[in-house]
Amino acid sequence: MAPGEFRLRICYAKSGRLRFLSHLEVVHALERGARRADLPYAVTRGFNPHMKMAFGPALPVGTAGQREYFDLWMVRYLPAEEPLQRLAAAMPPGLAPSEAVYVSDALPSLSAACTVARYEVRFEGRDVEQAALEEALGAVIRTGELAVEHKGKAKVYDLRRSLPKEPRIESNEIGIVVELTTRMGQEGSLRPESLLSEALSRIGARNAVMTVTRTDTLVEDEGAFARPM
Amino acid sequence: MTSSLWDKVEPLLGQVERPTRYIDSEWGVRRTAGIAYRAALLYPDTYEIGMANQAIGILYDRLNTLDGVAAERVYLPWSDMSSLMRARDIPLFTLETCTPVAGCDLLGITLPYELSYTNILEALDLAGLALRASDRGDGDPLVIAGGPCAYNPEPIADFLDAVLIGEGEEAVLDIVEAHRLARAAGKTRAQTLADLAQIPGVYVPSLYHDPDASGTLRPVPGSIVAAVVSKRVLADLDEYRAPICPVVPFMDVVHDRATVEVLRGCTRGCRFCQAGMVYRPVRERHADSIVRDAVAVLSCSGYDEVSLTSLSTTDHSQLEDVLRRLTRRFEGKGISISVPSLRVDAFSVSMARLVSASGRKSGLTFAPEAGSQRLRDVINKNVTEEELLDTTRAAFEAGWRRVKLYFMLGLPTETDDDVRGIATLAGKVLAVAREATPPAQRGSVKVAVSVSTFVPKAHTPFQFDGQIPRDEVLRRQQELRSVMPRKGVDLSWHDAEVSFLEAVMARGGREVSRAIEAAWRAGASFDAWTERFSLPRWLAAFEQTGIDPDAIAGRVFDESDPVPWGHLSAGVTLAYLWKERQRALRGETTADCSFDACTGCGVCGSAGLGVDIVLGGDRHGSR
Repeated sequence: MAPGEFRLRICYAKSGRLRFLSHLEVVHALERGARRADLPYAVTRGFNPHMKMAFGPALPVGTAGQREYFDLWMVRYLPAEEPLQRLAAAMPPGLAPSEAVYVSDALPSLSAACTVARYEVRFEGRDVEQAALEEALGAVIRTGELAVEHKGKAKVYDLRRSLPKEPRIESNEIGIVVELTTRMGQEGSLRPESLLSEALSRIGARNAVMTVTRTDTLVEDEGAFARPM
Repeated sequence: MTSSLWDKVEPLLGQVERPTRYIDSEWGVRRTAGIAYRAALLYPDTYEIGMANQAIGILYDRLNTLDGVAAERVYLPWSDMSSLMRARDIPLFTLETCTPVAGCDLLGITLPYELSYTNILEALDLAGLALRASDRGDGDPLVIAGGPCAYNPEPIADFLDAVLIGEGEEAVLDIVEAHRLARAAGKTRAQTLADLAQIPGVYVPSLYHDPDASGTLRPVPGSIVAAVVSKRVLADLDEYRAPICPVVPFMDVVHDRATVEVLRGCTRGCRFCQAGMVYRPVRERHADSIVRDAVAVLSCSGYDEVSLTSLSTTDHSQLEDVLRRLTRRFEGKGISISVPSLRVDAFSVSMARLVSASGRKSGLTFAPEAGSQRLRDVINKNVTEEELLDTTRAAFEAGWRRVKLYFMLGLPTETDDDVRGIATLAGKVLAVAREATPPAQRGSVKVAVSVSTFVPKAHTPFQFDGQIPRDEVLRRQQELRSVMPRKGVDLSWHDAEVSFLEAVMARGGREVSRAIEAAWRAGASFDAWTERFSLPRWLAAFEQTGIDPDAIAGRVFDESDPVPWGHLSAGVTLAYLWKERQRALRGETTADCSFDACTGCGVCGSAGLGVDIVLGGDRHGSR
């Protein structure tokens, strides 16, 4: 950080129709929002100057997020509430910012720090039965690993590493809700869809429609999970 | 807002490519439920292509300010989406309120290029509307098209209820008003169209026919319409503020930036150029309005780039003033300004330097169009080899390392000497570029040469000339390829087959509609997408409908021969076009009337359009 810059960490949601945005589209939308809000953003030096900002782990197309983060470097200090409100007024509701705090520039980047994600996966209707899914998911996890093919590349996930917590499954009047906690990072970021599709195929429900929401993006600190702000 | 139709659309989005095309919700959208009059504005291609269209942006802005009127955007879904929609009986819908297009009052279609015609049929069909205007009923939306291809709409005239010739800012309001009045009076579709035909610039194809097969369309007996429909044109651009809060896409679309139109029209008089003939006269926006709108559009949209658009932006008499004010204003904000359509002169390079002072120098594009001075004189492209080389030198001395040159093959009177001249000229440009570049950087010097095939367009001095046959295009391409320097030059072609179809569509009459429908029925759509274009499918469609496409593309007209667009006027007189064509054959150039004296094209004054050239000051730079 150049002297005189302030690192503002902003928490936002990706919801509703806007869950279909790609990560790059979200980045552009927030960049444009920061300009509409006329925030005193810092600009990188170099060949092609651009707004100085950095994002947490990407969300795939179709996945919603309740607590997503980005850092924005500003050249002028404003009480955090002010840029938050200005940005909120300049963003469509599906990408609304909810909190902002200044953080130390000594902190590692969000993408390096956020290594754990919590997800909520919903199955609407009665196509999937809770007990059967619980059993199938347990069986997948007990095998210890999961082979996933993504964009033509095969990858094997170590499920003991990828799943730091036991998944929880609940039923309600709408359908089934699965709560998953997964690890993200260099060694791979297990997608909830990959794990659940494997379980679903074991109970003949591979085509069940699921809605995935990342409910939290977390920092891991000596076994405990904490929010990055 | 959600609608019942959206509930059927949303589950499909996980199954299609680029779902962002269909989700609406962008910054700047206008959504109004419970509106009495809904206009769907269709761009007949995908979202990411159509979002760049400034005409739709202007009309969206204008119509949404009308009381009781909502204008909503429609783009053609890509084939993965349209297949799913057909399988589930989901009709074509508007983005803003997810209203079926067939349930709207008006379907406005922009006609950006000839190869979008099958997409119009695809859109009508997906909307559940009859393809032919004559088969549509009182409850169906009025289907009205406009845009560049409206100057010869005959190949698609049977699919359209009405066509707006010329500029839409005022005319769309007149059209909607007339439609609302007709509706309130309980008029039939035919009566409504007769009313619309009274609006200046509105052409209703069903009210014109060719009774004696002479090739001249005349009003049908009993209809009270003008024998020649003249274009609509604004007298003063500054009376209409450009949209300053445009819809800002999430998706990476083409030309993803804010735009401010700085002037309309171009009178350089290039004889092949339809835009230069039909958008006359030149009307500049004042520097103060340009600066005001550029600042406003950036602040409302959040874009990091604003493009100062027009047919020839470096012609604007106050451009330097505008650029100095804007660069000062945006300093240190990471905002860039782009100036498209550079002239071949030192002034253009200095303007390009001004806007790239802080940013990168991506590459400059110039359009000499022809390889020899003789042919450049024929087409009235007033650029000399010396000017091109001087401009190249200035650009490379200023730090640019890439230049792109546009040329055409098959221009009237072209010989093999002219064709080889393209290679010679490219070679000279390359040599000058290398010379002006420090030796250590010469490896990065690139000259890109892009060569398209000449398509004779309606309302131009070359409307009388035919396109050269496809075999001959290929032979000349081969000739050019054999003499083009290889090292340092990237040569690319515009597909000759595509240009051939463009010529058929640009020059054809009403009969061509049968071939368009046959091609669409055989699976043609997205013809402008290289991977989707199939000439054999089109040739089969022509054969099946008994139309000779080679005859249409290659036909040569005499001054007195009827042309399919003879009942439509862009203000430029037939006598002027013919005179210009004769001057072309003699190799005589004609000066630009915005720098020099009137050349008598007929747009100002006598045509009754009530317009004249509007300049913000004296024009400078080379002519």
